[in-house]
Amino acid sequence: MNVIIAGAGSVGRYMAGQLQDSGHNVTLIDNDTAVVTQGRATRTPVGVTWCLGDACEVATLTGVGAAQADVVAAVTGDDEDNLVVSLLSKQEFAVPRVVARVNNPKNEWMFNDMWGVDVSVSTPHLLTGLVEEAVTVGSFVRLLSLEGGKARLAEVTLATGSPAISKELTDLGLPRESTVVAVLRDGHVVVPRGDTLLHEGDEVLVLVTGGVEDDVRRALVG
Amino acid sequence: MALLRRKRDDQHPEAVPAPNSIPMCDAAPRQRVCVAGKVVRMTARPTSGQPALAVSISDDTGTVTAVWTGRREIGGITLGRRIAISGVPVKRGDHLEFTNPDYTLLPR
Repeated sequence: MNVIIAGAGSVGRYMAGQLQDSGHNVTLIDNDTAVVTQGRATRTPVGVTWCLGDACEVATLTGVGAAQADVVAAVTGDDEDNLVVSLLSKQEFAVPRVVARVNNPKNEWMFNDMWGVDVSVSTPHLLTGLVEEAVTVGSFVRLLSLEGGKARLAEVTLATGSPAISKELTDLGLPRESTVVAVLRDGHVVVPRGDTLLHEGDEVLVLVTGGVEDDVRRALVG
Repeated sequence: MALLRRKRDDQHPEAVPAPNSIPMCDAAPRQRVCVAGKVVRMTARPTSGQPALAVSISDDTGTVTAVWTGRREIGGITLGRRIAISGVPVKRGDHLEFTNPDYTLLPR
């Protein structure tokens, strides 16, 4: 895949290295001469194409081949820039997948299809979810929002007294708009089937769409 | 394509094609194109709670959709009006969708 990453900070450079290693064709854009010069001189990350320029300019994006890009990732430390890059990528180049980084969680509401963003990633929000996940047993923790919140990945660790313990998945009565995608048990991932039996302490990952979160919570938490 | 255009004009002698516009069936995703046609459907839709105006435009060869974000109406764009739009479309389902394209109102 052709991937364009706007912002060669630690996030952008790390992503570029990882993606290039997995065989993708990565271009990194940054407007800081020092960063680009150093990246070119040291050839890190290996194989990545560097571009010195402002990713908020159509000309820069045209120059790096945004019209053929499969993915554009806007991961600068500036939310305004990330939104402009996202909108231009979608509006001017019809990039199929636009990923944007949210720096300030207060801005998260803007990172949707209005601004050309297909997927937004908010580090503070993600961290909150992970912290909650670590400290809470027996409650419903939202891990990730997809499609602007239309689908959510949530996690429940089954505590003593959960109505789901010793039940098979098909008997849980989960609504149609939700599905169990994985069960984590003693450090293993159990691929869920209809006859998977749930135990106390299982971490159940559920994909929930629509407004059925309360029903899922009732079935798993009680 | 020229053949097709001629045929179309024969059928509708009153339909003046907009300059540079191509038949909708020839428009390809991710290419900058200009197409012209009649507004056949208008929907003011909330996109994640914020407004967007979706307009379907048809010529004799197909239908495309234009979505203008952040607004519920655009002066001059009404049902039945002929307009030309230019931009880079994406394929959404079985039709092409333009996001915030440039538009020109054409003579009725």
